[in-house]
Amino acid sequence: MGDLDKKVIGNLNDPRLPYDYNKRPYGTVSMDTTRPPFQWASEVAYKNAYRIVARGYDTTHLVELGYGLVDILFIDFQSRIPLIEEEKMLNYVMILSLEDGLSMPAVLSRIVARSKTFLTQACGTSILAFGHAYGAFSAFGNMLIEGLAKVEEYGKTMDAVALELVKDKLGDPALGVSDLMLKDPAAKKMFIRAEELGVAGQYIAFTKEVVKAAQQQSDHAVDLDMLGAIGATMMDLGFSPEATWAIIAITRSFGAGAHYIEEVEREDYTSLGQELTPKELYDGPEDRPVPPLEDRDKIAKPAQTFTPDEWKEAFEERKKLHGSGYAIIEEVKDPSEKT
Amino acid sequence: MSREPMIKRKTAIGYKTEEKTVMRGYDLSDLAEKGYSFYDAMFILYQGSIPTSAEEEMLKYEMGEFMEHSMSPSAASAIAVIAGRPNLPTAIAASIMTFGGVHGPGAAHGYMMNKYIERAQKEGKSPEEMGKILVDEYMDAGEPVMGMGQPQHRDGDPRAEPTHLKQEELKIDGVYLKLQRSIEKHFHARREREGKSFVGVNVVGAGNTALMDIGFSPNAAWCIGSVSRGYSCAAHALYNMKRGRAWAASRNEPMVQMLDLSLIKYVGPEDREVPTQEERQEYARKQKESGEYKKWVI
Repeated sequence: MGDLDKKVIGNLNDPRLPYDYNKRPYGTVSMDTTRPPFQWASEVAYKNAYRIVARGYDTTHLVELGYGLVDILFIDFQSRIPLIEEEKMLNYVMILSLEDGLSMPAVLSRIVARSKTFLTQACGTSILAFGHAYGAFSAFGNMLIEGLAKVEEYGKTMDAVALELVKDKLGDPALGVSDLMLKDPAAKKMFIRAEELGVAGQYIAFTKEVVKAAQQQSDHAVDLDMLGAIGATMMDLGFSPEATWAIIAITRSFGAGAHYIEEVEREDYTSLGQELTPKELYDGPEDRPVPPLEDRDKIAKPAQTFTPDEWKEAFEERKKLHGSGYAIIEEVKDPSEKT
Repeated sequence: MSREPMIKRKTAIGYKTEEKTVMRGYDLSDLAEKGYSFYDAMFILYQGSIPTSAEEEMLKYEMGEFMEHSMSPSAASAIAVIAGRPNLPTAIAASIMTFGGVHGPGAAHGYMMNKYIERAQKEGKSPEEMGKILVDEYMDAGEPVMGMGQPQHRDGDPRAEPTHLKQEELKIDGVYLKLQRSIEKHFHARREREGKSFVGVNVVGAGNTALMDIGFSPNAAWCIGSVSRGYSCAAHALYNMKRGRAWAASRNEPMVQMLDLSLIKYVGPEDREVPTQEERQEYARKQKESGEYKKWVI
């Protein structure tokens, strides 16, 4: 590679570079022997050729002794065997989470099915429906944790904190209170069952206060919804907001699998280019001629702006074009405890 | 807020109104209130009917044993994806999507079983006879017999044989287990005759057989196996998200990390100069003519 070092390639000889690019070495990095080699570190489980062990329990022993997946969820996520009442409650929650008609996970699963894929692709895709609006269990649970921390730290009452929270979040899809279940008693029945089983705790109590506060503040009828019921119950069962998010999304994926199968059984596959989008649905720029390529530089408007005022004006203009992304401002968080 | 479904479909699985959510005719809330288990609900979802107690017990056993398998392609995928700290569901989706033609191929095993049982029915043969035919046909063709062998559990998958025994204990050993037992018997005998090492039944061979004997279709059984695994993969992803360092390459961690540069072993073409645009056409022509590149094409 000696000749290469003498060549001028693009801007790579520019003295403003903080290094001499041409002197940077090729070749892979030697094995790092100063630290122990990489291993799949896990607190959750290990296996050898003979056994699979989760949080210290041999999983074949678990199933032979009558424990099932619902119990093992407590083992994997909480490192403990659940009380019988807790196992019953999680069963209850999972039944209610299994199927929800033609909701988003089912729709995504069906759309993937139309492309003639493996079932597992459809099941995986259905899980992607769970974000921070639909099935916002992470956002909901962390909201409860923050609310209860205020009760603890500042000696406030639950109802006072609930009222503050509702003032800030009324209408937020992660509140757990909405107008979605005014006629369906299933969410409220879940709390009643949790209380009967003796597994209701501070999260259900706090969520009830949030419901009361929302009912006082809202200008229309609202009540506990399924997100709030499941989220608070799972937290009282000891699951973290993130574990809840995962468990419920995966549980629904079984239902999405059935939707994949039904779509394949009852509908056709879709070919590339098959679907049309009628012009009635289009509200973008009017049809216009493509200019000759040689006229490009005469016609094209540069994107660069050079002052904050110019930038702001251009930004506002760009927001008007749906699909450009300028109208969306979102926070991409790092949930790591160390990065 | 619109509550119209995003797509319109006739569906025999379920419906949802403002008053209730119904699956295969049963109000989900009533099912939970009356003490049915999640495993019962799985039968209703996929088979439209409430199972016997023994069938429910078998599914509970199966889903329990499928769930956790420590480091398999599915868990490794979940851990790799979460290294970039996307939303958690992304890592779980990736883990479930690893289930394909090799990792947990439940549907493929099921289709194989159905094909040979149908042949047994048409040809008037017993499952025992058909097991030998299946093994001979697969092994004569040099193809692996599905449901046999596990790369990590070299002398027998800890989940597999106990699953067969549980099925027999619960007296739900139907035609699928008869065929599977025959496959294993003839598979072991032939390998022994050929001087080959022991290869045990794996969890697909055992678990999928049980799932089919309790009435699940190949795809339903595949869904049960692979989605059950999703739960443990979520735990592995969450552990790495909460206790591990993002990007999986930090040099400040005591142990070399999964994506440490020193773990890259490159076995491709030697380092070489990039031709200038003036040199490019001639260079490319010679390169194409030499054909040397073909050994690298994947």
